Amino acid sequence: MREIVFWAMAIAAVVTAWRVFRADSMVRAAYWLMASFVAVGVILVLLGAEFLGLVLLLMMAGEMTIMAVFMVMFMMNPAGLNPMTMVHQHRTSIVAGVVAFAGLAGVGILGRFPDARVSEPDRATAQLGGELLGDSMLVFETAGVALLATMIGALAIASSKGRYGGADEGSAPPELGRAGEPPTTKAGERDTGEQRAGQHEAEDEHAGHGGTMSGMEM
Amino acid sequence: MGSVTGSPGSSIAPIAAAVTVLLLLGIGIYAVAVLDRLVGRAVAREPLRLRAVLIAPVREAALLLMQQRISTERPDAQLWAFAPALLGALAAAGLAVVPASGGSGMTGSIPGMSAGIVYFGAAMAIVMVAVFLQGWAANSVLPLIGGYRFVAQALSYEMPLALVLIAAALPAQSLSVVEIVRSQHAVWNVVRQPLGLPLYLIAASGLAFWGPLNFPDGADLVGGTAAELSGAPLLFWKAARTAVLVAAAAMGAAAFLDGWWGPFIPGPLWMALKTLALLVIIILAGHLLDRVRLERFVVVSWVVLIPVALVDVFLSGLVALWTGGQGGGP
Repeated sequence: MREIVFWAMAIAAVVTAWRVFRADSMVRAAYWLMASFVAVGVILVLLGAEFLGLVLLLMMAGEMTIMAVFMVMFMMNPAGLNPMTMVHQHRTSIVAGVVAFAGLAGVGILGRFPDARVSEPDRATAQLGGELLGDSMLVFETAGVALLATMIGALAIASSKGRYGGADEGSAPPELGRAGEPPTTKAGERDTGEQRAGQHEAEDEHAGHGGTMSGMEM
Repeated sequence: MGSVTGSPGSSIAPIAAAVTVLLLLGIGIYAVAVLDRLVGRAVAREPLRLRAVLIAPVREAALLLMQQRISTERPDAQLWAFAPALLGALAAAGLAVVPASGGSGMTGSIPGMSAGIVYFGAAMAIVMVAVFLQGWAANSVLPLIGGYRFVAQALSYEMPLALVLIAAALPAQSLSVVEIVRSQHAVWNVVRQPLGLPLYLIAASGLAFWGPLNFPDGADLVGGTAAELSGAPLLFWKAARTAVLVAAAAMGAAAFLDGWWGPFIPGPLWMALKTLALLVIIILAGHLLDRVRLERFVVVSWVVLIPVALVDVFLSGLVALWTGGQGGGP
């Protein structure tokens, strides 16, 4: 039974990974990749690493969705709904693919892997916890702090309130003049740096109830 | 709630277990449909009309099944059909790990699995994929907005959900749902972790996009992810979403209300009663509270709910160390 599930999942992992590059839509490609990860997660569970396998699924669900959303955002493809090819730079990617495959296959064939059976998944999880906060603590904490710094940096970059004012400013409607008319062009004045900085300081004050928050509305 | 009651050993036929889970899920969906109408009438101070309310879900389902299916222009048909099935399957997978009773030989079954609470978390995390796909596959504006909204919503409720479940696992010193229930026989988690259940209920309504947290299917999007659905697909979508709510409530009953444990009546009945109680709270909140804006929910979630959930983990850990440390665990 275990053997059947293993082979089914191993084949599924490879086939779905191949489908990633045959899909013609970014969302499909992202979720084919997720399907591949699901198969790998099931194999991890079969190997007795219940916790690791399930956490892989838990993480990938969010990650693949975010990846799909970001790809749609960056690709200038309206809403990501139009079909588009997922394969570019054929020569480079073929070379990279062959080299990576040869390297990993070499490790797989020549490397020595432990083949002792895991007795209980429960103990394996506890041992993993002990390892994370024991011998390997320095490694994992270093990686953790590096990731945290990256996250803070990403937040700072993506934050709607940047050094030069709110990110949603461009989308804010122009203020109306006294007679209810749109203001005559102020572009010439706005271009001078000093005024700009001053203006933004003033605008920061009431940025809170501007209420556009275009980033969230999506 | 998913396991066959107390049958010893791992000899439960997987098919029988799957049928049981689906049956319980069906009963749960029907119960929510009836409760939703009853609570709605009670809140509006209308006569309850029990008989009509009991028939209404069946009538609506039959009507939807007979209605014509409409389609959009060039939808991603496969993913569109896949999304409700995935959502329903995830609800069933989540419910399967919730124990209905504390039989002795739970170790081989899914409710007895050692990382059960992580399994539930993984199933519920993939809900985001199902709802996003449902919005995306229709090739239509309003569903797409609904799908994107749900991604923002899911990223906001998922952290509190995971954190309170971790807190619930702390006193048990185990990730197994059966052990989590067993650890509460003296004091329920709802008492010794007072922050846990309220946070969990908020996250659970977000998970099933129910009531005040119904952003992807909201009326302001003319149905959102369900806007282009009709007939049988609409019925399946509604049922799958309700199933997610049922699974979340059942897990809440196990993680915070001591699951099957209780005097006089058998365990599965206690389990059902506690699940129903949580469902009533969520449904009542859906009828009493107004829908908030998504931006506000996201901000409140990241600024308030996640820190409070972290405090919950910290306090629960302290309490667990204080009370259970010398006992040597389970």
